[in-house]
Amino acid sequence: MRRDARTLLPYVVVALVAVAVLTVPLLTADRYLLRVLTFVGVNVIIVTGMALLFGYAGQVSLGHAAFYGIGAYASAYVVVELGWPWLAGVLTAVLVTAAGGLLLALPSLRLKGHYLAMATLGFGEIMRVVFTEARTVTGGPDGRSGIPFPSVGEWTLDSAGANYWLVWGAAVVVLVLAANLVRSRPGRAMRALHGSESGAMACGIDLVGLKVRVFVISAALAGFAGALYAHVVGFISPSTFSLHVSVLLVAMAVLGGSRSLAGPVLAATVLTMIPFADAVIPGLSRSALETIQSFQEDIYGLTIIGVMLFVPGGLAAALRRVASPRGRER
Amino acid sequence: MTLLQVRGVTRRFGGLTAVDAVSFDVHEGMIKAVIGPNGAGKSTLFNVLTAFDRPDEGSVLFDGADLTTMRPHLIVRAGVARTFQNTQLFEEMSAEENVLAGAHAVTRTGFLAAALRMPWTVREERDAAEEARRLLRLVGLGEWASTPAADLPHGLRRLLEIARALATRPRLLLLDEPAAGLNSAETSALAEALYRIRDLGVTIVVVEHDMGLVMEVSDEIVVLDRGRKIAEGPPRIIQKDPGVIAAYLGEEDVSDEF
Repeated sequence: MRRDARTLLPYVVVALVAVAVLTVPLLTADRYLLRVLTFVGVNVIIVTGMALLFGYAGQVSLGHAAFYGIGAYASAYVVVELGWPWLAGVLTAVLVTAAGGLLLALPSLRLKGHYLAMATLGFGEIMRVVFTEARTVTGGPDGRSGIPFPSVGEWTLDSAGANYWLVWGAAVVVLVLAANLVRSRPGRAMRALHGSESGAMACGIDLVGLKVRVFVISAALAGFAGALYAHVVGFISPSTFSLHVSVLLVAMAVLGGSRSLAGPVLAATVLTMIPFADAVIPGLSRSALETIQSFQEDIYGLTIIGVMLFVPGGLAAALRRVASPRGRER
Repeated sequence: MTLLQVRGVTRRFGGLTAVDAVSFDVHEGMIKAVIGPNGAGKSTLFNVLTAFDRPDEGSVLFDGADLTTMRPHLIVRAGVARTFQNTQLFEEMSAEENVLAGAHAVTRTGFLAAALRMPWTVREERDAAEEARRLLRLVGLGEWASTPAADLPHGLRRLLEIARALATRPRLLLLDEPAAGLNSAETSALAEALYRIRDLGVTIVVVEHDMGLVMEVSDEIVVLDRGRKIAEGPPRIIQKDPGVIAAYLGEEDVSDEF
């Protein structure tokens, strides 16, 4: 019986957290708080892809902000300029970023070592220039404004609460699918690849094919998140998708830890909230908040260094220790 | 029936010919050993047989298909499994998960089916887990199923790698120095596991430095020296072969190598 309770526990915890997350708009009407939490949801979707790519498969990308941006601009362009419906815009964003991920991954993942990190870094910089210069599509350095709210037919999600539900509903679905994935055959192959490439090959795992698939999925999730962001916020510009956002995403994955979804989700929540600390800490003074915001990048950088030095397993290792106090956490 | 035909395999590194026109056959259902002093070209030959390396000349025919033109993960699917001299386990994963990873080659749950948790994927997973536990018992690791690979004693790590290789349902199992670093009790446990595996109908090729294990388990032995095949035959003949004795005595000190 005890064994049953133990195996059920994770499901209960996940279900409770999902319910808690989805009831937030019923408990508060604070538009600013809902907006901040919506950003958290967007980042949770991206970080889920990062967790699969980095935490499970062990591949580093320094350019995921570019996919985030491509998704945002792709959806904004086809909806605003071509008059496509919102759902078609989101679908376009996912397909375009998946194709982009495939084009980038195929050549760079055939090579061993840090080629993927370098290729994605370069890709991020190229896309930053494209976002700034391809004015007809992106609106140039001023960005693109007046992107309509998400809508299906006559039904428009124009309130902060509705947008929160949309983004978090999507985030919960993405997390459930990812959780299913990591505990079955493909997820085991990803962990095997991370553990020993030779060992994985000896298991009949197609290393290049697996890496490319995971990369494409993570790119498509970033694109999906970008499309959600564009329509929820209504305005996008190149600075939203710059290198420092890529670094922030890596910081979330590192702080979150390997072989875990819960760790990176928690890390995404904390790091996303830092510049909006006043939304959850009521008494926070204006000047304290400004100090936090101006040192934002330093906080991310120090977080990465601190985690590498002092908590090698990240939040995931800490969570596992809580889940099994006597356990053999390694 | 001849399962594996090694035909004139040559592998050069710069000016050095590590393996020089080596040919031999492996018949189905036997345990065949490849031995030789250090530097004889055993590891190089092993990497060629498992497609981790390509020969400069020659071919390796497995059931009629040339392995030297295939990628490593595909020869696993064709029925050729291997272990490593320096074990390549997935340290963070439990013994059972390591063996389940080996079942990758013979299961088919893809990304989409896994994400949607289709009922048949759950069944496939359950069957694979059952098979993994059976294989762990076969090699004598039944008690260790939930132990992370990193926590297993050295001798058991070798056996775990063999169980993982068996999970790919091979017809031919290639073992790279399985007895290296094992004490005599561990070596005899290994020998017993090899007999049980052969009795399942799996053909075994052992590349080995340790004479004790080889003389005990193998049906036939190929002896390499400086890249060339110098003898081939059953253990009793090989033991008395003057060329083999000379090659091994020619080593300065046999005992300090592994």
